[in-house]
Amino acid sequence: MILEPRKESWSLPVAAALVAAAILLLAGVLMAFYEEQLYSAQQLKDVRGQAQILAASVTAAIVFDDSGAVQEHLDALKVNPELVGAGVYDKSGRLIASFVRAGAPLPRDRLAAGVTYASGHVDVVEPVLQDGAGIGIVFLRATTEPAERRLARYAGLILLVTMGALVILVLSLSQAALTGRARQLSMVNVRLQQEMEERRKTEEALRQSSKMEAVGQLSGGIAHDFNNLIMIVKGNLRLLRKRLGPDAVRADNYITSADEALDRAAALTQRILAFSRRQPLSPAPVRLSDLVAGMAELIRHSVGEKVVIATRLEAQWWTRCDINQMENVILNLAINARDAMPNGGTLSVETSDVTLALPPPETEDLGSGFVRGDYIALVVRDTGEGMPDDVRRRAVDPFFTTKPLGKGTGLGLSMTFGFVRQSNGYLTIASTPGEGTAVTLHMPRFQEGPVG
Amino acid sequence: MTIAWCGPAWAADSLEYAVKAAYLVKFIPFITWPDTVFTSPTQPVTICVLGDDPFGGRLDAETGQKFGDRPVAIKHIAQFDPDAKCQLLFVGHSTAAADGLVAAKDKPVVTVTDSDLPQHGVISFVIDANHVRFDIDNASADEDGLKISSKLLELAHAVRRKGAR
Repeated sequence: MILEPRKESWSLPVAAALVAAAILLLAGVLMAFYEEQLYSAQQLKDVRGQAQILAASVTAAIVFDDSGAVQEHLDALKVNPELVGAGVYDKSGRLIASFVRAGAPLPRDRLAAGVTYASGHVDVVEPVLQDGAGIGIVFLRATTEPAERRLARYAGLILLVTMGALVILVLSLSQAALTGRARQLSMVNVRLQQEMEERRKTEEALRQSSKMEAVGQLSGGIAHDFNNLIMIVKGNLRLLRKRLGPDAVRADNYITSADEALDRAAALTQRILAFSRRQPLSPAPVRLSDLVAGMAELIRHSVGEKVVIATRLEAQWWTRCDINQMENVILNLAINARDAMPNGGTLSVETSDVTLALPPPETEDLGSGFVRGDYIALVVRDTGEGMPDDVRRRAVDPFFTTKPLGKGTGLGLSMTFGFVRQSNGYLTIASTPGEGTAVTLHMPRFQEGPVG
Repeated sequence: MTIAWCGPAWAADSLEYAVKAAYLVKFIPFITWPDTVFTSPTQPVTICVLGDDPFGGRLDAETGQKFGDRPVAIKHIAQFDPDAKCQLLFVGHSTAAADGLVAAKDKPVVTVTDSDLPQHGVISFVIDANHVRFDIDNASADEDGLKISSKLLELAHAVRRKGAR
């Protein structure tokens, strides 16, 4: 199992935090803007109120043209630092009194009542009424706060909001970093476990391999010597029969029994030699499809009436192996299949051409390693009782058998395995208890084709 | 006050009375008479000039000026007569000022005395640094049931407050 690094998953909280920070900032800006609007509206209201009060209180002074009194009224307004200029004009538009704190001088033209905005200040003009008739106007100029003053007023708020946004950002970034690191750690952990598992499997395979090697060498050596001994005994038996001459009839039963026992012992040693890959082989090019087709009658005879045989022979490639041994192997596998199906079933024999880049799963003992390339697959499949995993794993061990004592030697699959490996092929056993077993041979393709 | 006059005496004199004539009319909107004085909203506000007219026709020129719905009327009288329905009574140098003032005492009439008279009405003109100004006797105005706007009091040269003796 390989974990894909998921980038979007750690950037999601950051994006959320960014959005939150942006919303916070936006809310701060909106609040400041709203405050500003309120403040401006309030300021304008105040200035207009002052203009109206001034207009109401200077009527007499205007009527009597008392510029001193008007000036007093205007001077009273000086306490308001926002007012930078003020003026009172009579009906004809003549300036009666004024003060200017800074900036542009007061306008001299006839002024229309209302509010005029200009950069940095706002002008308010109120008519002075007496009995409903205009007798003059009042002009007030209020500074609108300069940007830096306004900013300073909101500096605290801006600072707080910015800090809040920053805190959110930093927290989410560190959170994302932590999450990323935790994910990396868990990925590393998963990889470590995978590697440990692979290592365990490799060690298991190595152990199995060296076990097979040791057992093979030991049993092969013994079998070899044993075979020679059998041959000596067999030769001596023949000499004994010859020496006895006519008297041999009396001892015929014993001699024949001994001879048959020796034959069985020789067959056994042959099988052990086959497992230990020490049997003499005479490889020849062969098409497994043809081989199986030629054995059809033999297989049918061997498995009996209760088992249905299905063949699907699609392989066209040639391989090179000992044909007699291959026939033995196929027959052996067919008999194993039959034994797995005491109540009948289907035996399938299939061949096909395959190109392998990887060893088939659950391949028995790769030994020195896998060679990628073209292979002919031969599958012998039954619908029998199948094997549990622990049995399947020991299936090729020599002398391992689940058959009752005396029924099996425990050498059939061992021999098959030895032969296949000696022929540079691979043996795979797949089995599901209750469903059946499939034994697959992958024999290397022989490119040159048949000789002759 | 910003209006100053200068130049020859006759010119000064004529300007002085022009200003005084204008002031007489301008006082009107700042004075509230008792409700009993006016019988209709369009009844004129009458300015009576006791005795000789020092304004030389300038005051008569103000006739017809309106405050709200109320026009201004000018009357010349020789004696103060309560039935003359005067709201303002100008008492100049040429008349027996004391008689007029006594006659108008306790009446809802704003007595206006010319400058340099020994007696003083509710409003009395003064000349201060070549400017026409006025004093207000708010205490006697109050006794006569007259209300004088604080705006006008504010412009006065001197004010005798209510309750003052």
